[in-house]
Amino acid sequence: MQFFFEVLIGGLLAGVMYSLVALGFVLIYKASGVFNFAQGAMVFFSALTTVGFISMGAPFWLAVALALAAMVALAFFTERVVLRPLVNQPQITLFMATIGLSFFIEGIAQLTWGAQVHALDLGIADEPIEWLMRNTGMNISKFDLVASGIAAALVAVLAVFFNKTRTGRALRAVADDHQAALAVGISLQKIWVIVWIVAGLVALVTGLLWGARNGVQFALTFLALKALPVLILGGFESIAGAIVGGLIVGASEKLAEVYIGPHVGGGIESWFPYALALLFLLVRPEGLFGEKRIDRV
Amino acid sequence: MFYREAGQFKTTYAEDQRLFPIRQDRIGIAILLALAFVGVPLAAAMPATAGLIDFNYWFSGVLIPFLIFSLAALGLNVLTGYAGQISLGAAAFMAVGAFAAYNFELRVPGMPMLASFALAGVVAALIGMVFGLPSLRIKGFYLAVATLAAQFFVVWVLTKFAWFSNYSSSGVITAQKLVMFGYAFDTPVKRYLLVLAIVSLMALAAKNMARGAIGRAWMAVRDMDVAAEVIGIPMMKTKLLAFAISSFYCGVAGALYAFAYLGTVEPAAFELDLSFRILFMIIIGGVGSILGSFLGAGFIVMLPIFLDLSAASIERSFGLALPAGLVSNLTLILFGALIVFFLVVEPNGLARLWQIAKEKLRLWPFPH
Amino acid sequence: MSAGGKIGGPILEVDDVSLSFGGVVALQSVSFDVRKHEIRAIIGPNGAGKSSMLNVINGVYHPQRGSVTFKGASRRDVDPHEAAKQGIARTFQNIALFRGMTVLDNLMTGRYLKMKCGFLDQALYWGRARREELAHRAKVEEIIDFLEIQHIRKTLVGRLPYGLQKRVELGRALAAEPELLLLDEPMAGMNLEEKQDMSRFVLDVNDQLGMTVVLIEHDMSVVMDLSDRVVVLDYGRKIADGTPDEVRNNKDVIDAYLGVAH
Repeated sequence: MQFFFEVLIGGLLAGVMYSLVALGFVLIYKASGVFNFAQGAMVFFSALTTVGFISMGAPFWLAVALALAAMVALAFFTERVVLRPLVNQPQITLFMATIGLSFFIEGIAQLTWGAQVHALDLGIADEPIEWLMRNTGMNISKFDLVASGIAAALVAVLAVFFNKTRTGRALRAVADDHQAALAVGISLQKIWVIVWIVAGLVALVTGLLWGARNGVQFALTFLALKALPVLILGGFESIAGAIVGGLIVGASEKLAEVYIGPHVGGGIESWFPYALALLFLLVRPEGLFGEKRIDRV
Repeated sequence: MFYREAGQFKTTYAEDQRLFPIRQDRIGIAILLALAFVGVPLAAAMPATAGLIDFNYWFSGVLIPFLIFSLAALGLNVLTGYAGQISLGAAAFMAVGAFAAYNFELRVPGMPMLASFALAGVVAALIGMVFGLPSLRIKGFYLAVATLAAQFFVVWVLTKFAWFSNYSSSGVITAQKLVMFGYAFDTPVKRYLLVLAIVSLMALAAKNMARGAIGRAWMAVRDMDVAAEVIGIPMMKTKLLAFAISSFYCGVAGALYAFAYLGTVEPAAFELDLSFRILFMIIIGGVGSILGSFLGAGFIVMLPIFLDLSAASIERSFGLALPAGLVSNLTLILFGALIVFFLVVEPNGLARLWQIAKEKLRLWPFPH
Repeated sequence: MSAGGKIGGPILEVDDVSLSFGGVVALQSVSFDVRKHEIRAIIGPNGAGKSSMLNVINGVYHPQRGSVTFKGASRRDVDPHEAAKQGIARTFQNIALFRGMTVLDNLMTGRYLKMKCGFLDQALYWGRARREELAHRAKVEEIIDFLEIQHIRKTLVGRLPYGLQKRVELGRALAAEPELLLLDEPMAGMNLEEKQDMSRFVLDVNDQLGMTVVLIEHDMSVVMDLSDRVVVLDYGRKIADGTPDEVRNNKDVIDAYLGVAH
């Protein structure tokens, strides 16, 4: 039983990390109706830029600040080159454009900083929490806990931003209908830049946390793919959904691997979340927290 | 001026419905086919021209993969371009085709190789239909997610269950020798001709389907599925048929990929990035266009080669040593940039640009 | 008015149909019939439920109560493509043409139910498939002649002006050779000349091709001139049913249109 809880909590904490990635997606989707496939590449790029500057001798805080500046530049670039020319195109076109964007960012990242794996040390050790180990025998990592805390804080800030500020409301208006938002006087360009900067910030935090745990390497880009089942479960437009979806995916993935995995040869983590998402799509396509879509004839 | 249709009047519907109604097109295609089937192999064989370029490299390293990827792009175009069902799993169905052909050859004694390929395609088609079932309830990039599930699951199955690779280590299979009807296709030029023949026939079939009732049904489902249903087009049959035919084409392409191109393959060769490459081929070449599949495949196959050659020649001319991985990163950057470029400037890809060029040719060299 | 004397017994009977979406009631206990070969108009203020009624008839919406009897067969839930097989075709308020295809291809899709060759035959494009394709092409060309759209047959539908698109949509519905034709505001957004053309086509369709027509229309002069009988809906209920003259002088109808509170 204790083992079950250990796996469960480990899964939940891993799920928090997934939520972080999904959060970036939700932000951009909520605000611009664009499914940003390049989010994974942004995570990779921001983390790589940080370690790149660190390896050039910059102190941690400076490297992070510079990486953030790079993400801001990326936001402006993306808005100008990708989003503005494709205003009001169908969703699928924008989605494919972000696929192209992701390749572009990956190429630039590796061109600038090289393709080797970099280690990243955030000062939080990935070791079991002593107190917990002693009292309950459960092995839960300090790092995971801190990561969850950071993610939770970030989510709270973003939720407030979206629901309580004027900019947040404008972001939601843009997500609903570009043309209508324009008609009301909302500057699409400004909004999109803001949103992509915020998503860039989220990507940076995600990249640093994931990079500290697994090393900063190209595989980070595939995080984007892990986020998809999370979004389907939680709904594309909901921040709460990203959290809950991430937790569910993280927990179920670990539990499935531990309890079902040995019977089928293991490694089912690669596709189990997708199967789960698929089931969900057939039963409740809009996700747990998403909005139902009604097509008028 | 070269391309004027003036004077070419169609007096029957049959004439109007021809594959190439314009005489210039017919002449062009005839020349192209003659060059492809006869001209190039002849040039490779004749001592006078054989030494000009490295024909073996061009057959094995350029033309054969170009044809195979065109076939895969055709398959994806049927599903995503004509039927509008976005799919990120084309590579998975290539994998199914490759491994199925291998297993048919291995386990069924005396199975003609052509039959193995065809059956491999059928197996891929059946699996394609299974993964196409979600399309009956979900659309757009939700469907893309379902196809991603297919992509990951198929590769996992082929890796995990060693039976598929005949219990070889790391899942690598070595394709059997290409022998059909007692004739061994053991030189690059022979393999090239075989692949060319197969791809040409399948492209013709695809074109016929595209302009027939099923093609119109697919496009109707793509453009407005509610209206299509109201007309009487059955959603399930039409969508599943699109998945089936698309997977069949990708499956045969996969079999050819293993047997006529690489020789040895493993499941890891059919990962998500290959699916993306094929998607890029149809975006750049032109969605919903048979010609576009070829143009896009040619472009994506040629671009890395072109960059490699340029890098090599720059290194030689300037005595530089360019950093390792420069070309592969540049390829990534260029692919990404081109995708965005085409989506913004010409969403219908190279095929549309070609059409525009033909229209301009009607008048050239006159301005109007 | 259509050529008199040809109108037969009921081909369509709508019986006590009620339809609601969540809390919104679209139709409430609506009953009326449509006789063979007649031109029946459904009119009413905006939001009266006219399009919903058409959608119920051809299976896009399924009513919670009531039934629709077409050619003697009664049903409540029917799939749109089943309805098409039974011989019902329609046009839509916001044009539902296939934008990526030419006019000719759009009309040919209308022939889908009549084409029997499987995809393998089509892939080979030999003998049977080829003959079938050409035979249907010939039939579609008759409709193209009838609607006078020969000059745009190879044009992509998305490039056509609005009035021509509406005509093409009519052509696609005609291509199915239906027995019942449902037209949802076929003259919306047209100028006088286009309306006259479209009215002529509707009359010809009814007269020469013998189709029963149910149409939704806002232009009163069109309705009065074209239709044999009229159904008036308001807030989802039927408030009048009769010849154009009877309906025109009906107090409830006048009130509904003038917006008198009730």
